Amino acid sequence: MRTIIEIKDLKKRYGDGTVALKGVNLNLTKRLTTVIGRNGAGKTTMMRILSTQLMPSSGKAVVDGLDVVRDAWMLRKKLVSIPQEASPMGFLTPMEHLKTYLIARGSTMGQAAKDAENALRTLELWDARNTPADELSGGMKRKIFVAMALAANAEVVFLDEPTTGLDPLSRLEVWSAVKMLKGTVVLTTHYMEEAQELSEEIAMVDHGECIGFGTVQSLLKKFRGMVRAETGADGAKGRYTIGNTKIRYVKLRDAEHYVDEGYTIKPITLEDLFVIRGVELES
Amino acid sequence: MNLRFIGAFTWYYGINSISRGPSYVLSAMLYPLVFLFLITIFSAGKLIDFAVLGGFLSIIATNAIYGSADAAFQRIQLKIQDLFVATSLTPFDYTFGLTFSYLATALPGLLIYGIIGALLGIFSALPLLAFVGIMLLLLVAAMSIAVIITGLIKHVRNLWGVISIVSVVLTMVPPSFYPYVILPKWALYLLMISPVTPAAMLSQGLFGLEKMPLYALPVLLFETAAYFAIAMRMSGWREK
Repeated sequence: MRTIIEIKDLKKRYGDGTVALKGVNLNLTKRLTTVIGRNGAGKTTMMRILSTQLMPSSGKAVVDGLDVVRDAWMLRKKLVSIPQEASPMGFLTPMEHLKTYLIARGSTMGQAAKDAENALRTLELWDARNTPADELSGGMKRKIFVAMALAANAEVVFLDEPTTGLDPLSRLEVWSAVKMLKGTVVLTTHYMEEAQELSEEIAMVDHGECIGFGTVQSLLKKFRGMVRAETGADGAKGRYTIGNTKIRYVKLRDAEHYVDEGYTIKPITLEDLFVIRGVELES
Repeated sequence: MNLRFIGAFTWYYGINSISRGPSYVLSAMLYPLVFLFLITIFSAGKLIDFAVLGGFLSIIATNAIYGSADAAFQRIQLKIQDLFVATSLTPFDYTFGLTFSYLATALPGLLIYGIIGALLGIFSALPLLAFVGIMLLLLVAAMSIAVIITGLIKHVRNLWGVISIVSVVLTMVPPSFYPYVILPKWALYLLMISPVTPAAMLSQGLFGLEKMPLYALPVLLFETAAYFAIAMRMSGWREK
């Protein structure tokens, strides 16, 4: 299987001494990979290094055969990177945003107009194409950036938390758009259901390290046949405690017993990997 | 150099934005017009020619500075710079796109000053061409200084305060609105750190308002090249 992104012992220490990446190793081979992790885990740092926006301190990262440091100028022709919390320029319309971006990538005016139209129509932004971004909803603003990625038709697309702050419907719209992207897609999120919905492969990042990698099924293998039982009741026992919530992982056949004791039963999700990791680190 | 991007950005972000945000046009010409008014009143009309030339220089420099402030805003707040870093653009293309966008919003102000200057008989054809050249050099130099300063800003809250200070220091203090010869030599040399100073001296010399200080030309050329080189090095295009 072809490795699209290869990361070897990637480290990043910022000028203020903060260590964001402590030596990440990853080989991404699938079309859609999600990097999940808590806020401050190092996801954005990794994405910015991979998309040539930030220099690594040491280690190596190769995207589609090109080194992110040595071959940055060549790599930039192949990739699209939508930064976390990027906001459109208020006065500019979606059409102007897309055309400007495509021209920055080297398109001619005519080609940019054509590609922009296709992307705006696909993402149902066509009716709002001439409306200044300031007058659009949060979801539509975010969709402008996804439309940029779609219109660019790049070989590798990095999306850093594309749905943060969006309402459920807007998130579904963005998910649908992400699925339409043609190239290899790497996205970050801290929404576990988003990772489960979109990815073929998941990389878990925590405290600047990759703590897990694989499909959803392989990552949740150790929870097979189990459910999560949680309660906020005083005096209740839990293997893991987060705030006032006590959490236990119990066999599915025992779930009823815990319901009787006042626990709420929930299915296992990727979130549970972070629950265990977080509590273990704290203790 | 991506001229297509610079042109498109100037068109969309500058010219198209004029109708959506006319306050930019008014703010670009407000200070120079107020100065023109006050200088004319207090000098009983004697320094009106200086005020017109100063208005031109001030609009050019102020717009370059505000263009760079916008670049900082887009970097810190909108996170747009990162979007462009991961394309074939250079910081040069991006900064020029922003600067020319702001220059577009300054065009109505420059036109008004042009009309006033023509009515006062200040301008003649040949010096006017040289004056355009001086203004272009000033545009690049002022933009570069602003890029250097705004590149150091980490929080948007500080941006507007710093930009106001830079704007006053670069455009109001140098002899843009008054004859450069009234400054003591030491003060003139000190103010040479702002490219507005040699630009103002040359402009005043060009239109016969004062003696032509030819030595100001290499100073302006050197400052433009030096500030531009430093700005491109410090622009923080790809974060370290």
